[in-house]
Amino acid sequence: MLRFVLRRLLQAIPTLLGVLTLTWFLFFGTASAESIARRNLSSKDPTPAQVQGWIKEHGYDQPPVVQLRKATVDMLMFKFGKSDATKEDIWERIRQGAGPSIMVSSTIFIGTVLGAVLVAVLAAAFRGTYIDKTTTILCVIMMSVVYTVYVIGGQYFLSKQLRYGPIWGFDPASGLFKYILVPSAIGFAAGIATEIRLYRTFLLDEISQDYVRTARAKGVSETRILAQHVLKNALIPIITNTVAVIPGLILGGLLLENFFGIPGLGSYLFEALGSNDFSVVRAMVFLGTLLYIFGLIMTDIAYAIVDPRVRID
Amino acid sequence: MTLRIKVPVAITALAAAMAISNIGCTNNPYPAGESKRNVHYLNFGEDPKSLDPTFSFTTVESNVLDVITPSYFRYHYLQQNPVRLVLNLGTKEPTRTRTPDGGEVWTFTVRKDLRFSNDVCFPESKGRAITAADFIYSWKRMADPKIGYPLTGVFEDNVIGWKEYAAAFNLDRKGMADPNYDKPFPGVTADPNDPYTFSIHLKRPYPQLRFIMAMHHTTPQAREAVEHYNDEYARHPVGCGAYKLTSYTPKQRLVLERNENAPSDIYPTEGDPGDREAGLLDDAGKQLPLTDTLVFDMVRESTSSWNLFLQGYLDETTLNANNFQQAMASNGMLSPQMQEMGIRLRRAQQSAVYYVSFNMKDPLWGGYTPEKRKLRQAISLVLDSQEFIDLALQGNGTPAQWMLPAGLFGYDNEFKHPYRTVDVERAKKLIADAGYPGGKDPKTGERLVMNIDCAAITAAARTQYGILKRQIERVGVKVEIRSTPGSIFRDKLIKGSHQSILYGWFADYPDPENFVFLLYGLNSGPGKPNYAYYENPEYDKLFEKVRDMDDSPERLTLLNQMRDMAIEDSAWIPFYHPEVVTMSHAWVANTKVHPIARDVLLYRKIDNNLRAQKQAEWNKPVWWPLFAFAGIALAGIIPGVIVVKRRVNRKLRAGGGAS
Repeated sequence: MLRFVLRRLLQAIPTLLGVLTLTWFLFFGTASAESIARRNLSSKDPTPAQVQGWIKEHGYDQPPVVQLRKATVDMLMFKFGKSDATKEDIWERIRQGAGPSIMVSSTIFIGTVLGAVLVAVLAAAFRGTYIDKTTTILCVIMMSVVYTVYVIGGQYFLSKQLRYGPIWGFDPASGLFKYILVPSAIGFAAGIATEIRLYRTFLLDEISQDYVRTARAKGVSETRILAQHVLKNALIPIITNTVAVIPGLILGGLLLENFFGIPGLGSYLFEALGSNDFSVVRAMVFLGTLLYIFGLIMTDIAYAIVDPRVRID
Repeated sequence: MTLRIKVPVAITALAAAMAISNIGCTNNPYPAGESKRNVHYLNFGEDPKSLDPTFSFTTVESNVLDVITPSYFRYHYLQQNPVRLVLNLGTKEPTRTRTPDGGEVWTFTVRKDLRFSNDVCFPESKGRAITAADFIYSWKRMADPKIGYPLTGVFEDNVIGWKEYAAAFNLDRKGMADPNYDKPFPGVTADPNDPYTFSIHLKRPYPQLRFIMAMHHTTPQAREAVEHYNDEYARHPVGCGAYKLTSYTPKQRLVLERNENAPSDIYPTEGDPGDREAGLLDDAGKQLPLTDTLVFDMVRESTSSWNLFLQGYLDETTLNANNFQQAMASNGMLSPQMQEMGIRLRRAQQSAVYYVSFNMKDPLWGGYTPEKRKLRQAISLVLDSQEFIDLALQGNGTPAQWMLPAGLFGYDNEFKHPYRTVDVERAKKLIADAGYPGGKDPKTGERLVMNIDCAAITAAARTQYGILKRQIERVGVKVEIRSTPGSIFRDKLIKGSHQSILYGWFADYPDPENFVFLLYGLNSGPGKPNYAYYENPEYDKLFEKVRDMDDSPERLTLLNQMRDMAIEDSAWIPFYHPEVVTMSHAWVANTKVHPIARDVLLYRKIDNNLRAQKQAEWNKPVWWPLFAFAGIALAGIIPGVIVVKRRVNRKLRAGGGAS
């Protein structure tokens, strides 16, 4: 197991290097250092000297190879530096933003997984009946609605018309519940349908297995078959499907955070892209890649833990 | 049988959950009880980039900074027609002395009762007294190229020794400190006999310096604060204004509290005609500021901020394309719903102008020959400002006859631009005279193409350019809207590779020089605002005179000459002066808008009791839909439960295994 993890971690290094290099080329391929400087200076028409001064101060006057090498080494050492646009410490911002993002996205994640398993089990138990069919129809409808509509519509109905929570804001000191209630409900509603459909398939796959028939033949009750045999086995694909997502919860949700004013990391990357803030984009892309790789390794490990048939060496 | 117990348990759990949520459920976004205090709630559409007074230049930032870091002058809040400067940190009008070599020395004397706000950067966290040295320090920071003072171009050629002093700073240094700050700056000097007096030495007269001395760039700054906070100074400004910054969470919230060290300041006792009737003089003579705390929340989505406003959680908001439908009735008044809520509307023309300009270097539309002029004059004749304002700006603007907006020296209410009254026939004739009858090139038979360059556009902007295209095409030419990402568009302007643009200019200070310089020949090229690349030596000569002159009948004559000259060339077509429309709740008083000043929050007054009452009234949670939803879900499940029971019973009857 340890050897496997080490090997995967080593494999991650070239991936990270590749992502960093690609980001650099994509970024500077679309915007010149000069135009970035102009954007970040406050003057409506900065003088050429000011533009050159800005470029020099931020190190974008060095040859690409030097810049790339320095940036890559800094990233791998977790030295994120300061934002090009605001000179804020990037680590500090990530540290501050991770909390709010996790609070909302993990509430949504746990709620969605538990809710989806529950409904999927119900649908599987009543497969073929009106409950199963209604669930399927509702799920397809819910999956067809665009995420933006959930966010805007959810905010409109839950926060504005029904007034269950604030339209905007985040201040855990004065009660976390009121700030995350509506965003979580929206995230839950927007994500659950896909999960239900997926989990129902996993469950039905298991239900048609031989061991279920055997259990039935032995006279085990339907409820018990579902709860003890089918669910336990169906959890394997469910777990492997969800574990990969867990590290990414730190990054939060872009649209939801923007609309509800949650100071998470979801909007951080988006804003940095909007203001051509390369140092932040680089750090966030690096972090995103790292978390993704970490998620995949965790999936493999989780697979080995829940399914004794799988061995990793 | 477990299922039998489950239903009542579920109902009890649901009821319990609702009882809990009934206590916790509130849509008030602020900490409990805060709204009952004397707090003014405002919002930002975007996060301030920097609150360093030397660097900051946006309106959003100025709304915060100008109440923290005041300057020698400020604008009179109520007397706006015309706008006028009054002393703020200064004790008397600066004296101006001409020097034998044609230069000018301005001498300023500042108040003796000024102190910085209390801050950890000072010994024992007590704000120290301010002298002229702190004003001079700000000027040194303006010259420091590492900081990026936005108006460097205005001064580097005019303040004595600026360039040399700027060159002596070390650009590679870490942080804000530099030994160069210990050296004297020959352009801005202290009076050896009076610590409250300093002088600025100019190579040529620059009357606009008065306006610069009203901007936050020239506020006194504490070197201790700058060097203590370094890069974080952009988020910790320290000043001597009515407010001090007490907390700032980037992208989230910014709080200003009354500064206990602020110098005494009172609400103006005189105003423009009509101000007394509007209640704007009710607080005359009262000590400022009138509100204890200012809270700025960063609400990025305009839908969110509009809804917060409607719930009473934001005290004011601006009218925009998103909320226009809901806010306004068809007669241009507030909609009945808004009126019932007690919301009030205020319009104010901004000190700004939007224009369509051609690139004079362009081979087709540029150039100074009579034919080329006629081409551009024809376009000027078909641009319908009023229609554009009505359709694209919801009526919030005034058609422009020339660059200068109302309230500025040189603005003439009677003036009518000879090519700005819509006349399609005359335009067609001009196009024909220019050698393109029917808008077509007789040699090729192809229609003449006019390219309008713009930055990647939003839905609202698409409407605007669509209207522009339709208006111009009436004359027979074809219009192409060339939309590119913002950075590429800026590059085009800097390199002069655009053909024509629709662009705006917002005044930095209310002097005609700040507008007419848009066509000054030396102002074209990288980092300069003359995007028409208009170069007319005669215009330039007059401009240089106007720039260095104080307001006088002679200055007015020269300004009019320049106007007539530029109109004949029509490189630059005045389009409209924008208006800003703000809405505020009944509990907000003194909401007069100022076209230039950004320190207006000093005068705001909040009736927090009325606000608390209205907030409670408007925000009771509605519970029935939740009950209805729960009811439907239960009703849907119960038949299922019955089905399961039947199945189990069937099995039991058949002698199957128990569960």
